[in-house]
Amino acid sequence: MRSVLSRASRNFLWRHPWQLALALLGIALGVAVVIAIELAMESALTAFDQTRKAFSGTATHRILAGNGGLDEKLYTRLRVEQGIQQLSPIVSGYVGLPNDDRFRLVGVDPFVEKSFRSAWQEENSDTDYFARLITEPGTALISEQTAARLNLKVDDEIMVTTGNGEQRLKIIALLSPSHAISEQALSGLIVTDIATAQETLGLFGRLSSIDALIDDEASETLAQIRRVLPSDALLLSAGEQSEAMREMTRAFSINLKALGLLSLMVGLFLIYNTMTFLVVQRRQLIGSLRAMGVTRRQVFQLIIGEAFWLAVAGTTIGVVLGMALAQGLLHLISGTIDAFYFRIDAAALRVTPVQLGKGILLGLGATLLAVLPPALEATRLPPMTVLVRSRLESGVRRLVRITGLAGGLLIPAGLALALLSGKSVMPGLLGIFLLLFGFALLTPVFTLLAMTLIERVFGRFLGILGRLPARMVSAEISRTGIAIAALMMAVAATIGMDLMIGSFRQTVQEWLQGTLRADLYVSLPGEKKSIAGAAGDRQLKARLAAHAGVQMLSSVLTTHIIADEALTKVSVFDLNARARRGFTFKQAAPGGVWDRFEREQTVIVTEPYAYHHDVKVGQTIMMRTEQGKQPFEVLAVYADYSDQGHLAMSRRNYQRYWPDLGYSGIGIYAKPGVDLKQLEDQLGQSLKAPRSIRSSQAIYQASMDLFEQTFTVTETLRWLSAIIAFVGVFSALMALQFERTRQLGVLRAIGITPIQLTALITGETGLMGLAAGLFAVPVGYIVAYVLIFVIYLRSFGWTMAFHVNVAIICQGLALAFGAALFAGVLPALKMARTRPVEALRNE
Amino acid sequence: MSKEAAIAIHQLGKSYEESGRRHRIFSGLNLHVNRGEFLVLLGRSGSGKSTLLNLISGIDLPDSGSVIVNGTEITALSEHNRTLFRRHNLGFIFQSYNLIPTLSVGENLLLPLELVKPLTRADRDAVAALLDKLGLADRYDTYPDRLSGGEQQRVAIARALIHEPDLILADEPTGNLDLETGRLVLEMLDTLVKKAGKTLIMATHSREVIGQADRIVSIRDRSLVSADAFGS
Ligand SMILES: Nc1ncnc2c1ncn2[C@@H]1O[C@H](COP(=O)(O)OP(=O)(O)OP(=O)(O)O)[C@@H](O)[C@H]1O
Ligand SMILES: [Mg+2]
Repeated sequence: MRSVLSRASRNFLWRHPWQLALALLGIALGVAVVIAIELAMESALTAFDQTRKAFSGTATHRILAGNGGLDEKLYTRLRVEQGIQQLSPIVSGYVGLPNDDRFRLVGVDPFVEKSFRSAWQEENSDTDYFARLITEPGTALISEQTAARLNLKVDDEIMVTTGNGEQRLKIIALLSPSHAISEQALSGLIVTDIATAQETLGLFGRLSSIDALIDDEASETLAQIRRVLPSDALLLSAGEQSEAMREMTRAFSINLKALGLLSLMVGLFLIYNTMTFLVVQRRQLIGSLRAMGVTRRQVFQLIIGEAFWLAVAGTTIGVVLGMALAQGLLHLISGTIDAFYFRIDAAALRVTPVQLGKGILLGLGATLLAVLPPALEATRLPPMTVLVRSRLESGVRRLVRITGLAGGLLIPAGLALALLSGKSVMPGLLGIFLLLFGFALLTPVFTLLAMTLIERVFGRFLGILGRLPARMVSAEISRTGIAIAALMMAVAATIGMDLMIGSFRQTVQEWLQGTLRADLYVSLPGEKKSIAGAAGDRQLKARLAAHAGVQMLSSVLTTHIIADEALTKVSVFDLNARARRGFTFKQAAPGGVWDRFEREQTVIVTEPYAYHHDVKVGQTIMMRTEQGKQPFEVLAVYADYSDQGHLAMSRRNYQRYWPDLGYSGIGIYAKPGVDLKQLEDQLGQSLKAPRSIRSSQAIYQASMDLFEQTFTVTETLRWLSAIIAFVGVFSALMALQFERTRQLGVLRAIGITPIQLTALITGETGLMGLAAGLFAVPVGYIVAYVLIFVIYLRSFGWTMAFHVNVAIICQGLALAFGAALFAGVLPALKMARTRPVEALRNE
Repeated sequence: MSKEAAIAIHQLGKSYEESGRRHRIFSGLNLHVNRGEFLVLLGRSGSGKSTLLNLISGIDLPDSGSVIVNGTEITALSEHNRTLFRRHNLGFIFQSYNLIPTLSVGENLLLPLELVKPLTRADRDAVAALLDKLGLADRYDTYPDRLSGGEQQRVAIARALIHEPDLILADEPTGNLDLETGRLVLEMLDTLVKKAGKTLIMATHSREVIGQADRIVSIRDRSLVSADAFGS
């Protein structure tokens, strides 16, 4: 009995391969997107963790200071005077290679305590090249793969460029990756001893950080370190460091995951729709089975069992698809993290069971959840009923009213949650989901109203045949409503995101145009500037100032200091009057900013910094300096969209407490009438390798390119969910037309031509698209509003102006209409080509 | 092929292919039906009664042979033209009513009229009058699913007749109805079709119908035989 029973239902599936394939696709795409985001995000962050671990190995703590670094005497003091053994000094910075690659140069002490060595040191410790690193100056190690990639062998020299110009390093050996440390972590790396790194990077007598291995119990050691810790340095545990890094990218990661969930949610509609279709189609079969004595429980098991295998198959496809997708996303995601948060050295996709498991659970769980309502409905079917569709539909109309009511309640709840949830991103996103879901529930009500209206207004001109499409939409609202809702959600999300991105783009454009006041900009790159390079920078500035075509200069140094107990980015400005006009203050101390900015111990902060650190004008920020902790008053909050927040202070203020590290950028204001192109060429000739000169126009362009690039992830994911929605609509329409094959056959038998039938079906799907599109416009608006004023503000601390764009709205409408129309074409053609007799036989 | 013939079927062949095996329904079937004739089609279940009606109406196509209705060889027409032919010349009554569920009773009847020409006030009146005659005067705005089986079949018959086709095909119109209702439906067919001089072909088992028929044919061995002998 059992096996024949399941065959009765399975045969049904095989006879509708289209439905089967679309349902699988729906599950697979939803799962794929979720897994891809999880994997890519985790891989990017792990890449960062790994490079850190490659050196710090077992380190539990790290002592660090701003970009000026730590005095190397601190190391001797800790080790000799305090007798703390397990310490490892590190000097690190970035260097350029002739082929434009950027490598991380790390200087270490190869002979630190054995217990404290990182894995690669341990595994390569029998060789003699550690000694050579120390005894021979200018020697370095790179990984085997890097050597192969750069076509280098032992005893070759590589040319590296730093802020101080070019230097040569001799490769004395190649490191092989081990089980503990991947090729990945070694791939962008040059290892030297401390002295060579100091010399190459220009960090004479300084250390970037000191790693320490401290047992929890021996908190005495911690106290010891704190006692001698200079006032400009900070002691952090490894956990705190890693946490801080993850915290920084949390909002970004949540936003991405929300996009993944959106895809899954649209996918769920699809699964629900397919499973409902499969149950509805088998009412007769189920009724007969029940009449033969099959129990409710058996019917339930039948449906759920079927859904389970569907879920397993769909999820498996989704996992494979997700891994492929993750590979593509990884590049985009690390690009964004690199641009906005911190440097990520080359990241490779890491597939971890946890991430996969999450995706699989989500896929299986969601499918089974989506199939629950139709499965329960199936058990409630009385034995052997000849079911009249409209009787079901009148039950559905009650359901439409109930879901509409539920939608009406969810919408204000979602809005309230989004707007009244303080500063956290998660409830904001949850609010958007509630909103979208609420509107989706409201869609059938809206559709019924719209169809009635269309019939009232156009009915009298259209005749009975012309009225039929609208009739068909409302008569089968239980099926059409789901498809319209899914399409509406996808299009509303698209409109919302497009409006948000558009507003953001315009805001950034205006900001850049306002900020880029100078005619030309010289950039003096170097992730970390060094004291040794400062003199060279000063000479360059003097040379630029002396040029006949130059009227005046402004400058900035970008560095890190420790503010409020965290390593913080600062822009050190030397501004002229024109440059100052480029700042837009969101809040400012009364009585003018610039005078006090130069004269008093003050800072101005960017908008994201103020938002994330809850800083207001008039408050003070404590900074660690060599002369102890110093308070700086916040004078103003200014607009800035370049990163996740930093401080700005005057050069005069900076130099009172911190070492001169030169300049990161110099703005050139040309004398009136000077040919800028010519000036750029002249000045450019005297600049050596990493330094370059660009017009403000070129910088503007590059910044906008970066802007577009960071939105590629969002756009990609958004399109994915639109595709899933499309598949959903497609499958729903297929199911719908399939269900009414017989009815269409009757129409053909009484004299409706194939062309008229095509018009009828596409008319219906077109109406569905129109309904979805029309409803999606206001919903998209609300979504955009919440995205701009809640999600983006909370995630990034940026405020922007809401720019309405009519083109985006028209696009959204066209998308909905076009997608539905297109989805209707295939069933329409299929039906038109079917012989009426075949359609009539169908039941 | 006399000029009087409403239907002329010549050497009709039809077979179905099912899981690799050919299943012949008709071979070399011939039939002439005169204008105004009431023909009853008999045959065992599965002998091909519905198939023959489908071939005559052109909603199915034969493998060989020709079907000529009112002088038009419908087997030679394109799908589009065949549909238009059906629209103008044919009324079809199904065993299972097959009304359009999304249209009201009145609209179901107006649809065939609209397909022929733009609707006028007079058409609506005609529909109302016909419904009145069928005893369904107050059901103009009702949807089909609110009607009983007999009521639905009466509407279906009205739909087949409303645009005044010359030829009416009925496939066991009383098969789903109880005796009493079936009798009512047949009376209706009698007054509306036979008395109006229309050609009617009906597949049925009903003895009462057989008694009223002008001629009875039966499908045997993939062809038609005159069934007077074994009929009543
Ligand atoms: N599409 C098809 N594919 C295969 N065989 C078919 C198809 N349609 C009909 N048949 C077969 O053709 C034969 C005739 O079918 P038809 O429906 O015309 O019979 P019928 O005389 O109307 O029977 P009933 O009195 O039971 O309605 C049957 O054996 C049926 O199995
Ligand atoms: Mg039959």
